[in-house]
Amino acid sequence: MDLSQKIAVVTGGSRGIGAAIVSALQEKGARVITCGRGDRPHDLHPDVDWQQLDVSNKDDVDALKSHIQSQYGGLHMLVNNAGVQVEKTVTESSDDDWDQVMGINAKGVFFMCRAMIPLMAASGGGAIVNIGSISGHHADPSMALYNASKAFVHGLTRSIAVDHGHEKIRCNAICPGWIMTGMADAAFDLAKDPDLAKRDALARHAAGRFGAPQDIAKAAVYLLSDEAGFVTGQTLTVDGGLVAASPLQPGLF
Amino acid sequence: MTDSPLLNRVAIVTGGTGGIGTAICARLHREGARVIAVDRDAPKTEMPEGMRYIPLDVTSEDSVKAMIADVEGHENQVDILVNAAGIEIEKTIEDTSLEEWNLIFAVNVTGTFLVSKMVLPLMRKTGAGSIINFGSYDGFIADPHLAAYCATKGAVHALTRAMACDHGQDNIRVNAICPGYIDTPMLQSFFGDSGDIESLKTAVRDVHPIGRYGTPDDVAGLVNWLAGDEARYASGQLWVLDGGLTAQVQQMKL
Repeated sequence: MDLSQKIAVVTGGSRGIGAAIVSALQEKGARVITCGRGDRPHDLHPDVDWQQLDVSNKDDVDALKSHIQSQYGGLHMLVNNAGVQVEKTVTESSDDDWDQVMGINAKGVFFMCRAMIPLMAASGGGAIVNIGSISGHHADPSMALYNASKAFVHGLTRSIAVDHGHEKIRCNAICPGWIMTGMADAAFDLAKDPDLAKRDALARHAAGRFGAPQDIAKAAVYLLSDEAGFVTGQTLTVDGGLVAASPLQPGLF
Repeated sequence: MTDSPLLNRVAIVTGGTGGIGTAICARLHREGARVIAVDRDAPKTEMPEGMRYIPLDVTSEDSVKAMIADVEGHENQVDILVNAAGIEIEKTIEDTSLEEWNLIFAVNVTGTFLVSKMVLPLMRKTGAGSIINFGSYDGFIADPHLAAYCATKGAVHALTRAMACDHGQDNIRVNAICPGYIDTPMLQSFFGDSGDIESLKTAVRDVHPIGRYGTPDDVAGLVNWLAGDEARYASGQLWVLDGGLTAQVQQMKL
């Protein structure tokens, strides 16, 4: 899979899944622009173009579009990875929680797609990968707005695929399961018995391990490449078999 | 609604003397229907007036034909068919023999096919009907060591949609109920040798959003609704009845 001379923008590329996607695209030869609300990460490859911005801010997104237009002259790949989670139920969630979760996870994806689709169409077509979640299909407790925001991402993914297919733009979503990032480690540390919790969680994965950011990056590279030329409008679950299994497994108790 | 919304309706319930089937027969009977419980196994208690038993092997074409002839001779109408007969085999595919595979498909899939096929003419003659098949949440996601069972339930789901498409024009609705954990002998068998049954039951209750597992009466309630006129626009659907179990991502014990 050669992506050399292809231009890609990845949101939220400073760490975790986003950073893994940035590295994977770069290894395949793509010219990668990534962004985040903070300063340029120290460990970011020098060839990667870092833009400090907030995807939920329309002016920021428009500025990014102008930057890509003037510096690169086009765009082939877009990965909407930036996302936040607030661990609350509906009744606990404040207006600010709504603005933050829906602003970044939903409105941010909309802003980015609205700005970048014309650039991709003018470049002869391209591919979009949105990061959805298994939580957009099945609910994680006390993650109400997050779950809903991911369901929005899945719906928007299908709409873009349907509406912009004739412009040679494909759009798919990846639904990660448990990917080991700093966030997951912190969750286990909070358990009454972290070792037991980890064993229980592992037993629920047919793959016998948790996911790594690279697992999602590999799926993203596939969906962005011509190898997936006939794949569009889909949500691809990458979870080691977690949601294929019943949540009730007597063997675990 | 009248006090007996299913008055003058005739219902056939396969697996009608089993765990869930018994509760379905009792509920439909209470709602006014004349109920015919068909099963391999005779009922353990005497049946009330308005309910009768016909022996049936759902895997045998001759047995199904004889049962239909009996119903034609006596009631000469069928408004409701509940395909509740089913078995499970607790094995992976490697451990499942061809005989076992054929047996579970014969009961769970062929049985649903045969009884439905032969009831259809009588139902058409009656003028309208509701067929209720038994799928399972296992037709969507897998329980370990239930491979053939999961496959049969997936087949029932597809058959349900196909039958709804084909027979809607005859005013016959077809739906499937997809139960989660229902307290039946089959569930007790699945708990089997998993250790301390009480702590197991507590764990099972805890993982359900509504805090308990289901009862045969819960299933009978949905059968009653799908059978009756309140559900007159419901067809071709797979109704998951699981206390919210599969709405969640798997609940790890943290």
